[in-house]
Amino acid sequence: MKNPQLRLAAALLFPIVVLAANTWMYQQQRSSGETFKFPIEGFDPRDMLSGHYLFYKVDYAVPSTHGCPTSDISAVLCLRPERRVYPTDELPSSCEVYLQGECDASTVFTAGLDRFYIPQEYATALEVKIADKKGEIEVSIDKRGNAAILDLLIEGKTWKAITQD
Amino acid sequence: MTLIEKKLQIWEQQGLINGDQYDAILAFEQGEKKNSNWWLYSLLMLGSAIIGLGVISLIAANWAKIPDSLKLGANFLLLVSLAVVIFWQKQKPKKPWVDALITAFIIICLASIGLIAQIYHINGRWYHAILLWSVISLPIVLFARHLFVHFLWVSLFINAAVWSCIDLAGGNLRNIMRELPAVLLLAPLLSATLYLLARRVHLLYRTTASFFFWFQISALIALVAIDLIRSGGETQFFEWRWYLPSWIAASILIALIALRPAYRPLNKGLLIATILLLIIYYYPDILFTGQTRYTFSALDSTERASIWLADDIRAPALTILILFLYAIHAGNSGYHRTFNVITFLIGLRFVVLYFQAMGGLAATGVGLILSGLMIIGIAWFWYSSLDLLKIWSKELTP
Repeated sequence: MKNPQLRLAAALLFPIVVLAANTWMYQQQRSSGETFKFPIEGFDPRDMLSGHYLFYKVDYAVPSTHGCPTSDISAVLCLRPERRVYPTDELPSSCEVYLQGECDASTVFTAGLDRFYIPQEYATALEVKIADKKGEIEVSIDKRGNAAILDLLIEGKTWKAITQD
Repeated sequence: MTLIEKKLQIWEQQGLINGDQYDAILAFEQGEKKNSNWWLYSLLMLGSAIIGLGVISLIAANWAKIPDSLKLGANFLLLVSLAVVIFWQKQKPKKPWVDALITAFIIICLASIGLIAQIYHINGRWYHAILLWSVISLPIVLFARHLFVHFLWVSLFINAAVWSCIDLAGGNLRNIMRELPAVLLLAPLLSATLYLLARRVHLLYRTTASFFFWFQISALIALVAIDLIRSGGETQFFEWRWYLPSWIAASILIALIALRPAYRPLNKGLLIATILLLIIYYYPDILFTGQTRYTFSALDSTERASIWLADDIRAPALTILILFLYAIHAGNSGYHRTFNVITFLIGLRFVVLYFQAMGGLAATGVGLILSGLMIIGIAWFWYSSLDLLKIWSKELTP
Protein backbone atom coordinates (compact mmCIF):
# COMPACT_ATOMS: atom_id res chain seq x y z
CA MET A 1 0.00 0.00 0.00
CA LYS A 2 1.98 2.99 -1.26
CA ASN A 3 -0.68 5.67 -0.83
CA PRO A 4 -0.10 7.20 2.65
CA GLN A 5 -3.77 8.22 2.96
CA LEU A 6 -4.88 4.65 2.35
CA ARG A 7 -2.35 3.41 4.89
CA LEU A 8 -3.62 5.90 7.46
CA ALA A 9 -7.23 4.90 6.80
CA ALA A 10 -6.31 1.21 7.14
CA ALA A 11 -4.40 1.87 10.38
CA LEU A 12 -7.44 3.68 11.83
CA LEU A 13 -9.97 1.11 10.66
CA PHE A 14 -7.97 -1.94 11.76
CA PRO A 15 -8.62 -1.63 15.55
CA ILE A 16 -12.26 -0.68 14.99
CA VAL A 17 -12.85 -3.72 12.75
CA VAL A 18 -11.08 -6.10 15.15
CA LEU A 19 -13.04 -4.79 18.15
CA ALA A 20 -16.33 -4.95 16.25
CA ALA A 21 -15.58 -8.54 15.15
CA ASN A 22 -14.70 -9.43 18.72
CA THR A 23 -18.01 -8.02 19.97
CA TRP A 24 -19.95 -9.85 17.24
CA MET A 25 -18.21 -13.13 18.12
CA TYR A 26 -19.13 -12.84 21.83
CA GLN A 27 -22.69 -11.88 20.93
CA GLN A 28 -22.99 -14.92 18.64
CA GLN A 29 -21.60 -17.14 21.38
CA ARG A 30 -24.25 -15.80 23.74
CA SER A 31 -27.16 -16.22 21.38
CA SER A 32 -26.30 -19.53 19.71
CA GLY A 33 -25.73 -21.75 22.75
CA GLU A 34 -27.92 -23.75 25.07
CA THR A 35 -28.71 -22.11 28.43
CA PHE A 36 -27.65 -23.69 31.73
CA LYS A 37 -27.83 -22.48 35.32
CA PHE A 38 -25.15 -23.24 37.92
CA PRO A 39 -25.30 -22.36 41.64
CA ILE A 40 -22.49 -20.15 42.93
CA GLU A 41 -20.96 -19.73 46.35
CA GLY A 42 -18.37 -17.60 48.12
CA PHE A 43 -17.97 -13.93 47.47
CA ASP A 44 -14.93 -11.77 47.20
CA PRO A 45 -15.49 -8.25 45.84
CA ARG A 46 -12.50 -6.82 44.00
CA ASP A 47 -12.08 -3.22 43.13
CA MET A 48 -11.28 -2.55 39.50
CA LEU A 49 -10.75 1.19 39.26
CA SER A 50 -14.10 2.40 40.58
CA GLY A 51 -16.09 -0.62 39.42
CA HIS A 52 -16.36 -4.08 40.90
CA TYR A 53 -16.47 -7.66 39.92
CA LEU A 54 -17.78 -10.57 41.87
CA PHE A 55 -15.43 -13.46 42.28
CA TYR A 56 -17.10 -16.74 43.21
CA LYS A 57 -16.93 -20.52 42.96
CA VAL A 58 -19.25 -22.25 40.51
CA ASP A 59 -20.84 -25.49 41.68
CA TYR A 60 -20.97 -27.72 38.59
CA ALA A 61 -22.50 -30.55 40.66
CA VAL A 62 -19.98 -33.13 39.49
CA PRO A 63 -20.13 -36.37 41.52
CA SER A 64 -16.86 -36.84 43.41
CA THR A 65 -16.21 -40.15 41.61
CA HIS A 66 -16.39 -38.36 38.23
CA GLY A 67 -14.39 -35.24 39.13
CA CYS A 68 -10.93 -33.97 38.29
CA PRO A 69 -7.69 -35.87 38.89
CA THR A 70 -5.11 -34.25 41.21
CA SER A 71 -3.13 -32.63 38.44
CA ASP A 72 -3.15 -29.50 36.27
CA ILE A 73 -4.71 -30.64 33.01
CA SER A 74 -6.85 -29.24 30.26
CA ALA A 75 -10.26 -30.82 30.76
CA VAL A 76 -13.89 -30.84 29.63
CA LEU A 77 -16.99 -31.27 31.73
CA CYS A 78 -19.65 -33.37 30.01
CA LEU A 79 -23.07 -32.04 31.04
CA ARG A 80 -25.33 -34.51 29.24
CA PRO A 81 -26.10 -37.43 29.37
CA GLU A 82 -23.73 -37.94 32.31
CA ARG A 83 -22.09 -35.15 34.32
CA ARG A 84 -18.43 -36.11 34.33
CA VAL A 85 -14.97 -34.52 33.85
CA TYR A 86 -12.71 -35.92 31.11
CA PRO A 87 -9.24 -34.95 29.93
CA THR A 88 -9.81 -32.89 26.76
CA ASP A 89 -8.54 -35.58 24.39
CA GLU A 90 -10.64 -38.32 26.00
CA LEU A 91 -14.11 -36.81 25.59
CA PRO A 92 -16.46 -39.58 24.39
CA SER A 93 -18.52 -38.94 21.26
CA SER A 94 -21.67 -39.83 23.21
CA CYS A 95 -21.38 -36.57 25.18
CA GLU A 96 -24.08 -34.20 23.87
CA VAL A 97 -23.17 -30.96 25.66
CA TYR A 98 -19.83 -30.16 27.24
CA LEU A 99 -17.94 -27.28 28.78
CA GLN A 100 -14.25 -26.60 28.12
CA GLY A 101 -12.06 -25.80 31.11
CA GLU A 102 -9.24 -27.13 33.21
CA CYS A 103 -8.53 -29.08 36.37
CA ASP A 104 -6.11 -27.84 38.99
CA ALA A 105 -4.03 -29.78 41.49
CA SER A 106 -6.77 -29.46 44.15
CA THR A 107 -9.22 -31.39 41.87
CA VAL A 108 -11.29 -28.30 41.10
CA PHE A 109 -12.77 -27.84 37.63
CA THR A 110 -12.82 -24.25 36.34
CA ALA A 111 -14.16 -22.87 33.07
CA GLY A 112 -13.40 -19.16 33.41
CA LEU A 113 -16.94 -18.36 34.54
CA ASP A 114 -16.01 -17.24 38.03
CA ARG A 115 -16.21 -13.50 37.52
CA PHE A 116 -19.16 -11.16 37.09
CA TYR A 117 -18.87 -7.40 36.65
CA ILE A 118 -21.13 -5.38 38.90
CA PRO A 119 -21.58 -1.66 39.66
CA GLN A 120 -20.05 -0.87 43.01
CA GLU A 121 -23.21 0.58 44.58
CA TYR A 122 -24.91 -2.84 44.42
CA ALA A 123 -21.94 -4.86 45.62
CA THR A 124 -22.81 -4.91 49.34
CA ALA A 125 -26.45 -5.87 48.78
CA LEU A 126 -25.50 -8.71 46.45
CA GLU A 127 -22.71 -9.87 48.73
CA VAL A 128 -25.21 -10.87 51.42
CA LYS A 129 -27.49 -12.71 48.98
CA ILE A 130 -24.67 -14.69 47.43
CA ALA A 131 -23.14 -15.53 50.80
CA ASP A 132 -26.54 -17.10 51.64
CA LYS A 133 -26.08 -19.38 48.63
CA LYS A 134 -29.00 -17.82 46.81
CA GLY A 135 -26.98 -17.01 43.71
CA GLU A 136 -26.79 -18.70 40.31
CA ILE A 137 -25.16 -17.83 37.03
CA GLU A 138 -26.94 -18.28 33.75
CA VAL A 139 -24.59 -19.50 31.05
CA SER A 140 -24.86 -20.10 27.32
CA ILE A 141 -22.78 -23.05 26.05
CA ASP A 142 -22.25 -23.60 22.33
CA LYS A 143 -21.60 -26.88 20.50
CA ARG A 144 -17.81 -26.54 20.86
CA GLY A 145 -17.97 -26.19 24.62
CA ASN A 146 -17.41 -22.42 24.76
CA ALA A 147 -19.37 -20.73 27.51
CA ALA A 148 -20.58 -17.15 27.93
CA ILE A 149 -22.17 -15.72 31.07
CA LEU A 150 -25.64 -14.35 30.41
CA ASP A 151 -26.76 -13.16 33.82
CA LEU A 152 -26.43 -13.38 37.58
CA LEU A 153 -29.58 -14.68 39.27
CA ILE A 154 -30.59 -14.25 42.90
CA GLU A 155 -33.38 -16.57 43.99
CA GLY A 156 -34.18 -17.15 40.34
CA LYS A 157 -34.51 -13.44 39.48
CA THR A 158 -32.01 -11.34 37.54
CA TRP A 159 -29.74 -9.27 39.79
CA LYS A 160 -31.01 -6.03 38.25
CA ALA A 161 -34.57 -6.84 39.36
CA ILE A 162 -33.33 -7.62 42.87
CA THR A 163 -31.45 -4.34 43.22
CA GLN A 164 -34.48 -2.35 42.04
CA ASP A 165 -36.70 -3.87 44.79
CA MET B 1 18.68 1.12 5.87
CA THR B 2 19.03 4.73 4.68
CA LEU B 3 22.23 6.24 3.29
CA ILE B 4 22.78 8.34 6.40
CA GLU B 5 22.49 5.26 8.62
CA LYS B 6 25.12 3.42 6.54
CA LYS B 7 27.43 6.44 6.74
CA LEU B 8 26.90 6.77 10.48
CA GLN B 9 27.67 3.09 11.05
CA ILE B 10 30.96 3.46 9.15
CA TRP B 11 31.84 6.59 11.15
CA GLU B 12 31.01 4.81 14.39
CA GLN B 13 33.13 1.79 13.41
CA GLN B 14 36.02 4.07 12.57
CA GLY B 15 35.74 5.78 15.95
CA LEU B 16 34.88 9.18 14.44
CA ILE B 17 31.66 9.42 16.43
CA ASN B 18 30.40 7.71 19.55
CA GLY B 19 27.05 6.03 20.26
CA ASP B 20 25.41 9.16 21.70
CA GLN B 21 26.46 11.17 18.66
CA TYR B 22 25.20 8.42 16.33
CA ASP B 23 21.73 8.57 17.90
CA ALA B 24 21.63 12.38 18.00
CA ILE B 25 22.63 12.79 14.33
CA LEU B 26 20.20 10.10 13.17
CA ALA B 27 17.33 11.62 15.15
CA PHE B 28 18.16 15.04 13.68
CA GLU B 29 18.33 13.73 10.13
CA GLN B 30 15.03 11.92 10.52
CA GLY B 31 13.26 15.13 11.36
CA GLU B 32 13.17 14.96 15.13
CA LYS B 33 14.48 18.51 15.42
CA LYS B 34 13.89 20.26 18.72
CA ASN B 35 10.46 21.75 18.48
CA SER B 36 9.97 25.15 20.04
CA ASN B 37 6.37 24.16 20.86
CA TRP B 38 7.37 21.10 22.85
CA TRP B 39 5.46 22.30 25.90
CA LEU B 40 2.29 22.69 23.83
CA TYR B 41 2.65 19.14 22.46
CA SER B 42 3.39 17.78 25.92
CA LEU B 43 0.29 19.44 27.39
CA LEU B 44 -1.83 18.13 24.52
CA MET B 45 -0.50 14.60 25.13
CA LEU B 46 -1.09 14.88 28.86
CA GLY B 47 -4.62 16.20 28.34
CA SER B 48 -5.45 13.40 25.88
CA ALA B 49 -4.06 10.73 28.19
CA ILE B 50 -6.09 12.11 31.11
CA ILE B 51 -9.28 12.22 29.00
CA GLY B 52 -8.61 8.64 27.94
CA LEU B 53 -8.18 7.54 31.56
CA GLY B 54 -11.41 9.38 32.40
CA VAL B 55 -13.21 7.33 29.73
CA ILE B 56 -11.73 4.12 31.18
CA SER B 57 -12.96 5.11 34.66
CA LEU B 58 -16.42 5.91 33.30
CA ILE B 59 -16.56 2.48 31.69
CA ALA B 60 -15.29 0.80 34.82
CA ALA B 61 -18.09 2.44 36.81
CA ASN B 62 -20.33 -0.05 34.94
CA TRP B 63 -23.52 1.82 34.22
CA ALA B 64 -26.03 -0.91 34.91
CA LYS B 65 -29.10 1.03 33.86
CA ILE B 66 -27.79 1.76 30.37
CA PRO B 67 -28.47 -1.12 27.95
CA ASP B 68 -25.39 -2.98 26.70
CA SER B 69 -26.20 -2.18 23.08
CA LEU B 70 -26.24 1.55 23.85
CA LYS B 71 -22.92 1.38 25.72
CA LEU B 72 -21.28 -0.52 22.86
CA GLY B 73 -22.88 1.77 20.27
CA ALA B 74 -21.61 4.92 22.03
CA ASN B 75 -18.16 3.39 22.33
CA PHE B 76 -17.89 2.55 18.64
CA LEU B 77 -19.34 5.93 17.68
CA LEU B 78 -16.61 7.62 19.73
CA LEU B 79 -13.91 5.49 18.10
CA VAL B 80 -15.18 6.14 14.57
CA SER B 81 -15.53 9.90 15.26
CA LEU B 82 -11.97 10.10 16.56
CA ALA B 83 -10.70 8.13 13.56
CA VAL B 84 -12.44 10.55 11.18
CA VAL B 85 -11.00 13.59 13.02
CA ILE B 86 -7.48 12.10 12.97
CA PHE B 87 -7.77 11.39 9.24
CA TRP B 88 -9.01 14.92 8.60
CA GLN B 89 -6.35 16.60 10.79
CA LYS B 90 -3.56 14.57 9.19
CA GLN B 91 -4.32 16.17 5.78
CA LYS B 92 -3.64 19.66 7.15
CA PRO B 93 -0.20 21.26 6.70
CA LYS B 94 0.08 22.12 10.41
CA LYS B 95 -1.05 19.28 12.63
CA PRO B 96 -0.32 19.90 16.30
CA TRP B 97 -3.43 17.95 17.35
CA VAL B 98 -2.74 14.71 15.51
CA ASP B 99 -0.52 13.02 18.10
CA ALA B 100 -2.84 14.09 20.93
CA LEU B 101 -5.78 12.60 19.04
CA ILE B 102 -3.85 9.40 18.33
CA THR B 103 -3.09 9.14 22.07
CA ALA B 104 -6.79 9.51 22.87
CA PHE B 105 -7.70 7.01 20.12
CA ILE B 106 -5.38 4.26 21.38
CA ILE B 107 -6.42 4.78 25.01
CA ILE B 108 -10.08 4.51 23.99
CA CYS B 109 -9.20 1.30 22.08
CA LEU B 110 -7.92 -0.05 25.40
CA ALA B 111 -11.07 1.15 27.17
CA SER B 112 -13.16 -0.60 24.48
CA ILE B 113 -11.45 -3.91 25.23
CA GLY B 114 -12.33 -3.36 28.90
CA LEU B 115 -15.94 -2.50 28.04
CA ILE B 116 -16.36 -5.62 25.88
CA ALA B 117 -14.82 -7.76 28.64
CA GLN B 118 -17.19 -6.16 31.14
CA ILE B 119 -20.37 -6.57 29.10
CA TYR B 120 -19.64 -10.19 28.14
CA HIS B 121 -18.02 -11.04 31.52
CA ILE B 122 -14.81 -12.24 29.89
CA ASN B 123 -12.54 -13.81 32.44
CA GLY B 124 -9.25 -13.06 30.73
CA ARG B 125 -5.83 -12.00 31.95
CA TRP B 126 -4.85 -8.34 31.90
CA TYR B 127 -1.73 -9.03 29.83
CA HIS B 128 -3.75 -10.80 27.12
CA ALA B 129 -6.03 -7.78 26.87
CA ILE B 130 -3.04 -5.43 26.57
CA LEU B 131 -1.36 -7.71 24.04
CA LEU B 132 -4.50 -7.54 21.89
CA TRP B 133 -4.48 -3.76 22.29
CA SER B 134 -0.79 -3.62 21.29
CA VAL B 135 -1.46 -5.51 18.08
CA ILE B 136 -4.47 -3.49 17.00
CA SER B 137 -3.00 -0.10 17.93
CA LEU B 138 0.50 -0.55 16.46
CA PRO B 139 -0.36 0.57 12.90
CA ILE B 140 -1.74 3.94 14.04
CA VAL B 141 1.04 4.40 16.63
CA LEU B 142 3.54 4.25 13.76
CA PHE B 143 1.92 7.39 12.30
CA ALA B 144 2.65 9.40 15.47
CA ARG B 145 5.75 11.59 15.61
CA HIS B 146 5.81 12.41 19.30
CA LEU B 147 7.95 10.18 21.54
CA PHE B 148 5.21 9.97 24.20
CA VAL B 149 2.89 7.95 21.96
CA HIS B 150 5.64 5.43 21.16
CA PHE B 151 6.72 5.30 24.78
CA LEU B 152 3.16 4.61 25.94
CA TRP B 153 2.77 1.81 23.40
CA VAL B 154 6.18 0.24 24.11
CA SER B 155 5.67 0.40 27.89
CA LEU B 156 2.37 -1.46 27.78
CA PHE B 157 3.45 -3.84 25.03
CA ILE B 158 6.68 -4.96 26.72
CA ASN B 159 4.83 -5.71 29.97
CA ALA B 160 2.07 -7.63 28.22
CA ALA B 161 4.51 -9.54 26.00
CA VAL B 162 6.73 -10.59 28.90
CA TRP B 163 3.86 -11.82 31.12
CA SER B 164 2.14 -13.54 28.19
CA CYS B 165 5.33 -15.39 27.21
CA ILE B 166 5.88 -16.68 30.75
CA ASP B 167 2.21 -17.62 31.01
CA LEU B 168 2.47 -19.56 27.74
CA ALA B 169 5.71 -21.30 28.70
CA GLY B 170 4.64 -22.07 32.26
CA GLY B 171 1.21 -23.34 31.28
CA ASN B 172 -1.01 -20.68 32.84
CA LEU B 173 0.36 -18.41 35.55
CA ARG B 174 -0.97 -19.48 38.93
CA ASN B 175 1.27 -17.73 41.42
CA ILE B 176 2.75 -14.49 40.16
CA MET B 177 5.45 -14.35 42.85
CA ARG B 178 6.66 -17.84 41.93
CA GLU B 179 7.25 -16.99 38.28
CA LEU B 180 8.45 -13.42 38.93
CA PRO B 181 12.20 -14.18 38.50
CA ALA B 182 11.50 -15.55 35.01
CA VAL B 183 9.58 -12.37 34.20
CA LEU B 184 12.44 -10.22 35.50
CA LEU B 185 14.96 -12.07 33.32
CA LEU B 186 12.86 -12.00 30.17
CA ALA B 187 12.06 -8.27 30.37
CA PRO B 188 15.60 -6.94 29.56
CA LEU B 189 16.33 -9.70 27.05
CA LEU B 190 13.11 -9.07 25.14
CA SER B 191 13.50 -5.28 25.34
CA ALA B 192 17.07 -5.50 23.99
CA THR B 193 16.01 -7.90 21.23
CA LEU B 194 13.18 -5.61 20.15
CA TYR B 195 15.49 -2.59 20.39
CA LEU B 196 17.95 -4.16 17.93
CA LEU B 197 15.14 -5.39 15.68
CA ALA B 198 13.57 -1.91 15.68
CA ARG B 199 16.92 -0.43 14.65
CA ARG B 200 16.97 -2.73 11.62
CA VAL B 201 13.37 -2.00 10.58
CA HIS B 202 13.03 1.62 9.54
CA LEU B 203 9.27 1.66 10.16
CA LEU B 204 9.84 0.92 13.87
CA TYR B 205 12.72 3.36 14.31
CA ARG B 206 10.81 5.73 16.60
CA THR B 207 10.25 2.95 19.13
CA THR B 208 13.99 2.32 19.60
CA ALA B 209 14.51 4.92 22.35
CA SER B 210 11.61 3.49 24.37
CA PHE B 211 12.81 -0.12 24.00
CA PHE B 212 16.32 0.96 25.03
CA PHE B 213 14.93 2.82 28.04
CA TRP B 214 13.03 -0.28 29.21
CA PHE B 215 16.06 -2.47 28.51
CA GLN B 216 18.21 -0.39 30.85
CA ILE B 217 15.60 -0.13 33.60
CA SER B 218 14.58 -3.79 33.47
CA ALA B 219 18.20 -5.01 33.23
CA LEU B 220 19.07 -3.12 36.39
CA ILE B 221 16.00 -4.48 38.20
CA ALA B 222 16.80 -8.02 36.98
CA LEU B 223 20.36 -7.77 38.25
CA VAL B 224 19.43 -6.33 41.65
CA ALA B 225 16.64 -8.89 42.13
CA ILE B 226 18.73 -11.95 41.33
CA ASP B 227 21.59 -10.60 43.44
CA LEU B 228 19.20 -10.34 46.41
CA ILE B 229 17.75 -13.81 45.76
CA ARG B 230 21.15 -15.50 45.37
CA SER B 231 22.83 -13.57 48.18
CA GLY B 232 20.09 -14.76 50.50
CA GLY B 233 20.94 -18.36 49.57
CA GLU B 234 17.41 -18.92 48.37
CA THR B 235 17.10 -22.15 46.41
CA GLN B 236 15.08 -22.76 44.25
CA PHE B 237 11.83 -23.91 42.95
CA PHE B 238 12.58 -22.52 39.52
CA GLU B 239 11.25 -24.58 36.63
CA TRP B 240 13.16 -24.70 33.36
CA ARG B 241 9.95 -24.15 31.34
CA TRP B 242 9.59 -20.63 32.78
CA TYR B 243 13.03 -19.74 31.39
CA LEU B 244 12.39 -21.06 27.88
CA PRO B 245 11.19 -17.65 26.56
CA SER B 246 14.33 -16.01 28.00
CA TRP B 247 16.60 -18.55 26.30
CA ILE B 248 14.81 -18.04 22.98
CA ALA B 249 15.00 -14.23 23.34
CA ALA B 250 18.69 -14.49 24.30
CA SER B 251 19.46 -16.65 21.24
CA ILE B 252 17.82 -14.11 18.92
CA LEU B 253 19.56 -11.27 20.76
CA ILE B 254 22.98 -12.92 20.45
CA ALA B 255 22.38 -13.48 16.73
CA LEU B 256 21.37 -9.82 16.26
CA ILE B 257 24.46 -8.64 18.16
CA ALA B 258 26.73 -10.93 16.15
CA LEU B 259 25.24 -9.65 12.87
CA ARG B 260 25.29 -5.96 13.80
CA PRO B 261 28.02 -4.27 11.80
CA ALA B 262 28.14 -1.21 14.08
CA TYR B 263 29.59 -3.32 16.92
CA ARG B 264 33.29 -4.10 16.97
CA PRO B 265 34.34 -7.72 17.72
CA LEU B 266 35.28 -6.69 21.28
CA ASN B 267 31.81 -5.20 21.89
CA LYS B 268 30.12 -8.26 20.48
CA GLY B 269 32.15 -10.51 22.78
CA LEU B 270 31.44 -8.33 25.81
CA LEU B 271 27.70 -8.14 25.17
CA ILE B 272 27.34 -11.86 24.47
CA ALA B 273 29.33 -12.70 27.62
CA THR B 274 27.09 -10.33 29.64
CA ILE B 275 23.93 -12.00 28.32
CA LEU B 276 25.22 -15.51 29.03
CA LEU B 277 26.29 -14.57 32.56
CA LEU B 278 22.91 -12.98 33.30
CA ILE B 279 21.11 -16.11 32.10
CA ILE B 280 23.28 -18.44 34.12
CA TYR B 281 22.78 -16.17 37.16
CA TYR B 282 19.08 -17.11 37.06
CA TYR B 283 18.94 -20.68 35.83
CA PRO B 284 20.24 -23.40 36.03
CA ASP B 285 21.73 -23.32 39.54
CA ILE B 286 25.18 -24.61 38.58
CA LEU B 287 27.05 -21.62 40.03
CA PHE B 288 25.26 -21.58 43.37
CA THR B 289 25.22 -23.91 46.35
CA GLY B 290 22.35 -22.56 48.47
CA GLN B 291 24.80 -21.85 51.35
CA THR B 292 25.64 -18.43 52.70
CA ARG B 293 28.38 -17.04 54.90
CA TYR B 294 27.36 -13.55 55.97
CA THR B 295 23.57 -13.27 55.70
CA PHE B 296 21.36 -13.62 58.77
CA SER B 297 20.40 -17.24 58.10
CA ALA B 298 24.08 -18.21 58.00
CA LEU B 299 24.86 -16.32 61.24
CA ASP B 300 22.43 -18.61 63.11
CA SER B 301 23.93 -21.83 61.79
CA THR B 302 26.73 -23.63 63.62
CA GLU B 303 29.04 -23.83 60.64
CA ARG B 304 29.35 -21.11 58.02
CA ALA B 305 29.93 -21.90 54.35
CA SER B 306 33.49 -21.48 53.13
CA ILE B 307 34.25 -18.26 51.29
CA TRP B 308 34.54 -20.18 47.99
CA LEU B 309 31.16 -21.87 48.38
CA ALA B 310 29.12 -19.00 49.83
CA ASP B 311 26.40 -17.66 47.54
CA ASP B 312 26.61 -14.24 49.19
CA ILE B 313 30.18 -13.96 47.84
CA ARG B 314 29.52 -15.56 44.46
CA ALA B 315 26.43 -13.42 43.76
CA PRO B 316 28.12 -10.00 44.18
CA ALA B 317 31.15 -11.25 42.25
CA LEU B 318 28.88 -12.19 39.35
CA THR B 319 26.96 -8.90 39.59
CA ILE B 320 30.18 -6.90 39.52
CA LEU B 321 31.53 -8.97 36.61
CA ILE B 322 28.35 -8.41 34.57
CA LEU B 323 28.40 -4.67 35.31
CA PHE B 324 32.11 -4.50 34.53
CA LEU B 325 31.72 -6.19 31.12
CA TYR B 326 28.83 -3.88 30.21
CA ALA B 327 30.77 -0.83 31.45
CA ILE B 328 33.69 -1.69 29.15
CA HIS B 329 31.25 -2.05 26.24
CA ALA B 330 29.64 1.31 27.09
CA GLY B 331 32.99 3.07 27.48
CA ASN B 332 34.31 1.47 24.31
CA SER B 333 31.23 2.57 22.32
CA GLY B 334 31.39 6.15 23.59
CA TYR B 335 28.31 5.97 25.87
CA HIS B 336 29.92 8.06 28.59
CA ARG B 337 26.86 8.60 30.78
CA THR B 338 26.11 4.88 30.84
CA PHE B 339 29.75 4.17 31.63
CA ASN B 340 29.69 6.62 34.56
CA VAL B 341 26.46 5.20 35.97
CA ILE B 342 27.68 1.61 35.75
CA THR B 343 31.06 2.29 37.33
CA PHE B 344 29.19 4.05 40.13
CA LEU B 345 26.98 0.96 40.55
CA ILE B 346 30.07 -1.26 40.70
CA GLY B 347 31.44 0.94 43.48
CA LEU B 348 28.12 0.80 45.29
CA ARG B 349 28.01 -3.01 45.12
CA PHE B 350 31.53 -3.15 46.58
CA VAL B 351 30.38 -1.03 49.50
CA VAL B 352 27.33 -3.23 50.10
CA LEU B 353 29.52 -6.33 49.94
CA TYR B 354 31.80 -4.78 52.51
CA PHE B 355 28.86 -4.13 54.84
CA GLN B 356 27.68 -7.72 54.41
CA ALA B 357 31.09 -9.14 55.21
CA MET B 358 31.75 -6.80 58.13
CA GLY B 359 28.31 -7.20 59.70
CA GLY B 360 29.83 -8.37 63.01
CA LEU B 361 31.93 -5.24 63.47
CA ALA B 362 29.30 -2.78 62.30
CA ALA B 363 28.06 -2.32 65.88
CA THR B 364 31.43 -1.17 67.11
CA GLY B 365 32.97 2.25 66.77
CA VAL B 366 35.96 0.79 64.98
CA GLY B 367 33.68 -0.81 62.45
CA LEU B 368 31.87 2.47 61.78
CA ILE B 369 35.12 4.41 61.34
CA LEU B 370 36.48 1.76 59.01
CA SER B 371 33.23 1.79 57.06
CA GLY B 372 33.37 5.56 56.63
CA LEU B 373 36.99 5.44 55.52
CA MET B 374 36.19 2.64 53.12
CA ILE B 375 33.34 4.60 51.51
CA ILE B 376 35.54 7.68 51.11
CA GLY B 377 38.38 5.53 49.77
CA ILE B 378 36.18 3.77 47.23
CA ALA B 379 34.64 7.08 46.14
CA TRP B 380 38.08 8.61 45.73
CA PHE B 381 39.37 5.57 43.83
CA TRP B 382 36.31 5.58 41.59
CA TYR B 383 36.62 9.30 40.86
CA SER B 384 40.37 9.32 40.29
CA SER B 385 40.48 6.21 38.10
CA LEU B 386 37.42 7.04 35.98
CA ASP B 387 39.39 8.69 33.18
CA LEU B 388 42.09 6.01 33.26
CA LEU B 389 39.43 3.32 32.99
CA LYS B 390 37.77 5.10 30.06
CA ILE B 391 41.09 5.40 28.22
CA TRP B 392 41.94 1.79 28.98
CA SER B 393 38.60 0.51 27.66
CA LYS B 394 39.09 2.58 24.48
CA GLU B 395 42.57 1.16 24.01
CA LEU B 396 41.25 -2.40 24.12
CA THR B 397 40.17 -2.03 20.51
CA PRO B 398 43.07 -2.56 18.11
